[in-house]
Amino acid sequence: MKMQEKNISANNFEQCIKCTVCTVYCPVVPVNPLYPGPKQAGPDGERLRLKKGLFFDNTLKYCLNCKRCEVACPSGVRIGDIIQSARIKYNTDSPKLRDMILANTDFMGTVVTKVAPVANFALGLKPTKVVMDAVLKVDKHRTFPKYTTKTFESWYKKNVKAFQDSFKRHVSYFHGCYVNYNYPQLGKDLVSVMNALGYGVHLLENEKCCGTALIANCMIDKAKKNAEHNIASIRKSVYERQMPVIGASSSCNFTIRDEYPHLLGVDNSDVRDHIELCTRFIYRLIDEGKVKLVFKKDYKAKIAYHTPCHMERLGWGIFSTELIRMIPGVDLTILDSNCCGIAGTYGFKKENYEVSQAIGKPLFEQIERLKPDFVACDCETCKWQIEMSTSKEVKNPISILAEALDLVATSEANK
Amino acid sequence: MVSAARDNEFDVIIVGGGITGAGTARDCALRGLKVLLIERHDLATGATGRNHGLLHSGARYAVTDRESAEECIKENMILRKIARHCVEETEGLFLTLPEDDLGYQAKFVESCLAAGINAEIIDPKEALRMEPSANPDIIGAVKVPDGAVDPFRLTSANVIDAKLHGAKVLVYNEVTNLIKEGDTVKGVEVYDHITKQTANYYAPITVNAGGIWGQHIAELAGVKINMFPAKGALLIFGHRVNNVVLNRCRKPANADILVPGDTICLIGTTSSRIPFEECDNMFVTPDEVDVLLQEGEKLAPSLASTRILRAYAGVRPLVATDDDPSGRNISRGIVLLDHETRDGVKGFISITGGKLMTYRLMAEWAADLVCRKLNVQQSCITMSTPLPGSEKENIDEISHKTWAKPGTTHKATVGRHGARAVNIGLNDEYDASLVCECEEVSVGEVKYAINELDVHNLVDLRRRTRVGMGTCQGELCACRAAGMLADAHKCTDRAKDDLKNFVNERWKGMYPICWGDTLRESEYSQWIYSGVCGLEGGKCETNKAE
Amino acid sequence: MRFDTIIIGGGLAGLVCGIKLQKAGQKCAIISAGQSAMHFSSGAFDLLGRLPDGTEVKEPLKAISSLPAEHPYSIIGAEKVAEYAAQAKGFFADCGVKVTGDASRNSWRITPTGERKPSWLTIGDFTPLAAKEEKIGNKALIVNILGYLDFNTKFLADSFEKQGTECRIVALKLEEMERLRKNPSEMRSTNIARVMDREGIWETAVSQIRTLLKDEDVIVLPAVFGLKDGSVVEKISETLGKKTIFVATMPPSVPGIRTQMTLKAEFEKAGGRFFLGDTVIESKADENGIIKSISTVNFNDIRMEADNFVLATGSFFSKGLIATPEKVCEPVFGIDLTYREGRENWFNTNFWEKQNYISFGAKVDETLNASIAGKKIVNLYAIGSVIGGTNSLYEGCGGGTAIVTALAAADRILEKK
Repeated sequence: MKMQEKNISANNFEQCIKCTVCTVYCPVVPVNPLYPGPKQAGPDGERLRLKKGLFFDNTLKYCLNCKRCEVACPSGVRIGDIIQSARIKYNTDSPKLRDMILANTDFMGTVVTKVAPVANFALGLKPTKVVMDAVLKVDKHRTFPKYTTKTFESWYKKNVKAFQDSFKRHVSYFHGCYVNYNYPQLGKDLVSVMNALGYGVHLLENEKCCGTALIANCMIDKAKKNAEHNIASIRKSVYERQMPVIGASSSCNFTIRDEYPHLLGVDNSDVRDHIELCTRFIYRLIDEGKVKLVFKKDYKAKIAYHTPCHMERLGWGIFSTELIRMIPGVDLTILDSNCCGIAGTYGFKKENYEVSQAIGKPLFEQIERLKPDFVACDCETCKWQIEMSTSKEVKNPISILAEALDLVATSEANK
Repeated sequence: MVSAARDNEFDVIIVGGGITGAGTARDCALRGLKVLLIERHDLATGATGRNHGLLHSGARYAVTDRESAEECIKENMILRKIARHCVEETEGLFLTLPEDDLGYQAKFVESCLAAGINAEIIDPKEALRMEPSANPDIIGAVKVPDGAVDPFRLTSANVIDAKLHGAKVLVYNEVTNLIKEGDTVKGVEVYDHITKQTANYYAPITVNAGGIWGQHIAELAGVKINMFPAKGALLIFGHRVNNVVLNRCRKPANADILVPGDTICLIGTTSSRIPFEECDNMFVTPDEVDVLLQEGEKLAPSLASTRILRAYAGVRPLVATDDDPSGRNISRGIVLLDHETRDGVKGFISITGGKLMTYRLMAEWAADLVCRKLNVQQSCITMSTPLPGSEKENIDEISHKTWAKPGTTHKATVGRHGARAVNIGLNDEYDASLVCECEEVSVGEVKYAINELDVHNLVDLRRRTRVGMGTCQGELCACRAAGMLADAHKCTDRAKDDLKNFVNERWKGMYPICWGDTLRESEYSQWIYSGVCGLEGGKCETNKAE
Repeated sequence: MRFDTIIIGGGLAGLVCGIKLQKAGQKCAIISAGQSAMHFSSGAFDLLGRLPDGTEVKEPLKAISSLPAEHPYSIIGAEKVAEYAAQAKGFFADCGVKVTGDASRNSWRITPTGERKPSWLTIGDFTPLAAKEEKIGNKALIVNILGYLDFNTKFLADSFEKQGTECRIVALKLEEMERLRKNPSEMRSTNIARVMDREGIWETAVSQIRTLLKDEDVIVLPAVFGLKDGSVVEKISETLGKKTIFVATMPPSVPGIRTQMTLKAEFEKAGGRFFLGDTVIESKADENGIIKSISTVNFNDIRMEADNFVLATGSFFSKGLIATPEKVCEPVFGIDLTYREGRENWFNTNFWEKQNYISFGAKVDETLNASIAGKKIVNLYAIGSVIGGTNSLYEGCGGGTAIVTALAAADRILEKK
């Protein structure tokens, strides 16, 4: 009898043994009593919801989708996915204007970058913040990340696109909204590092927002559209142009690889293994002896690495930290595994501000205690939160590499 | 002295706290009789709680047993009205698989229609849309008005109403003898398993509603009823695979009904004759498990990879009419025996046969006979009087009426107790906190059950509230609830023994399917109870107060 | 990615082995599919509480010679077991985990339901009893946190009263805890501990206890203090100035989790790499059966290579062993197991009797090497509860088996070099 060889259930919810381990690692439960906790909101509640949708509880929206419960679960239950799927399936509240603004990162980016100086000025103004706080319920303590006057894509096209074909090997770069509209420097760093390693960097045929924020705000139709669009572009890159896809944002990567199939039902099985974080991509090249890094002789830094929640879930923090450890002159501390509390757009919402800061408190305190020169982290929203809540600047590992590498010598070594 | 004497004098004594006895007690009480209901274990411990929980449309019997089919569909429609919080109107499908004879379908539908069952042939594709878990290979499908019914809730609601109408209910009281004067049964001699005392109760009529065990009660009266113990094994799966009842469209056979029931679904049954002595201690064999899985998978392929929570078996309380070894061709018909005319024993009647679906009709017949014998001119009103909790609103309405912001726990509570959930305190933090996390049973609900619903131990509590019926089968909740029972009964030793019994009772349903996640769950339970807590040597016997 | 030793399983056995190897200069990785059974710790490690025939063991080291040949202790040898048992206390102290107890004589721990169970090393929070019947005091004040359901005060009081200790049960109402209480399911030990760990809160609790105290000579508290920093436990006892006994709660276990966190931090501090939430999917071996590399869900095509592999995956709960209706197997390497065929032989129908399945597990030889299809794999070791041959729950030897086999395997690996 081959039957019952394996028990299967949606997101493994029935493999839950009710051991309570997930509840130990939920960052929300200790600070927000309204949240039922991962066990209740996840596998426990799911059995009732399968009976009737009316057992859905709107308090599931307090889940950060940090997936720490999943990392801790000894039974392989995808608790975070269960909770997010339930929100997608049963939530009846239509998104507020505020949520639409926060979630539509690429639409907002396109509009705002055109008037960036004005917008940045206005968004930073106290009256604007007060209005946003009162009317839109975007917490007044938050500052929107500054918009750039020139998107990464336009910089890329104007300055580096022309010579990317001259390299022997090639990758596509999923830059994400943040790099495009707010912080092109990270993208520039990535291009220079990859170029130094002998890789031409190309844009996807047409990149849309990965959808992390759309999913978090239950704008599923839009998220699904973006996902299908992105997967089609990625598929083209992988199979027609023979270029694997890399990125520098752990959340974009995680969403494309895991949330697309699990939450949006978008099949990515044929390309999933070809999308990864650039640090993992580079680590593999080094591990296989395919590239060499030549570092500056005088680089010195005391760095504290924060593992973003989605990076914990991907299990890829090791690749970023191993790369940083390769830099001579670096004193690296890996910060305790804690959520920073921002969880993308979650912390921007007025109703979540306090919870968000309370969640991040242990992390902020540890950073201040350690007094590093700066914090390293692969996630842009963690960066906003840590920079807002501590005295330290946050750098993406790829930017640290760009700083620490002797780029000329490295490109020579990899010719 | 008169009033003291009256304390143990009743108009009618009903023996057996299954659904038939509970229904009969309610019916008699509603007709104004002074009723005593006696049960040796807990309510719904026998066949009542050990079946599919299927709200039969009658379709299953339409071809072979027209009379049962007609009774079923009538009662089905009545229960939808009077027992709303015990019933789920899911609809049912009769599926024809490639290996089945599609020719049977026409005969089946014709028989259904003749019995008054609205059976409608539908496109298999439509059937799959209705129930996506159904086997995609089906070649035929018939839609029937099947549903799900929770037998524990139904029994409890009948008992509540009986009590509301003055009935006295004694659980854990075993009838040790019938008090006879000449050829007349005058009452019962009862042993109370909790107080360990014996008492006599008197009534002009005693109703034997003991189900399969009624044979023994009849023997006490010196009459013989030949019961036919047929064992049926079932498997409970960890969650709902289907939301529509799935049946095989063929002659009734093994494992051909998959019923969604509360948070789970269950497949059954097998059928095998067992010696009468085994009725009290049945276990499910590996072969039965294998048969249930093999056949169940044909109805819904995902069962092959769905976690099984428990295996259990019940006994069909059929009255033997022939020697059919399978027990399937025997009529499920109601058997009402007036022992005065049948055996010359006065003051004693037996109501047996039948099934969960027809309990109300059985009760009506029995109560009619009781009234005739007592010369009481009251007619039956149970076909139109809702059971307590089954007033008109649905779960959402009741929840929103009762609480400002009803969450999952509130709704689950209403799901279990219907409109009577308003009597359950969920407002302060303590009462709102969860005892059983899998099934969302709160401290308030446990308190309510202990205070109002004749709960004497954890197993009783489970039947009233679903504590320990979820995925973990009582890992944390049993210990929490045991603490509450220790409080209520002011006896820690008893509570601890009770905890051990409860864990063992849960284990009884788990060991027949102890592999995969069930084995993992069991190991975890072992760590907690034997390891961390260091509990030892519980007793094997279940369901008994001692 | 290359390591000297890769340990699969991040529970007690895996961590002890990893720390020992890493501190000896090896480069180690621990891969752990989720958190371990330390989260449900009883608060003590047992060495041997009972022989397979049920005889109670008072002096575990002396009793080892009476164990059957297939028992992991017998395989390692009584002398070696004694040696490793002696090392253990110092090992934990070096890691910052305070334990008390003695391998030559069992002490007793008080369980959440008030039973007494033999134990070897007791985590610092708890007060081991010298004798099973030891009376904890004349009068006890049993203190719960209001609304906490997983600390069964009634059962405890009952068990203490049976030994002549008069008991009074009280519950603390702390304002800071009321917020947590709004959540119907999350009044759990760890969440309570998080609140208690905040500045000033345990002090408030202590002063409340002092006002509640009458003439009791002993205070009984649930072990819900010091999730990150165990020193608070001592501070509470000191501040109360009375004999204070902490009793383990139903899961999750605060002292167990703290111990796990401390050991993991120690491993990482020594340079070890801990991969949480990852699962090994396959392994590659050379023609001699020597395991060369493994791959995991997260590492996927980036293979993890090592000279030695240690299997510390635990039993069924943590999927170190998998049971299907037909068979029991070890999923990572498919190593040879000792188990009884036919699922009707896996269990006893009485929950409270010895369950055979608990004694199923890996076949190991005297060097703790596992075998595949009868062939010894010289660079693959099995440690902890994945090893068969003992009903650790019945015999009360799970903690000891984990610690002793972990230290022994580490020695074998280091000796090889």
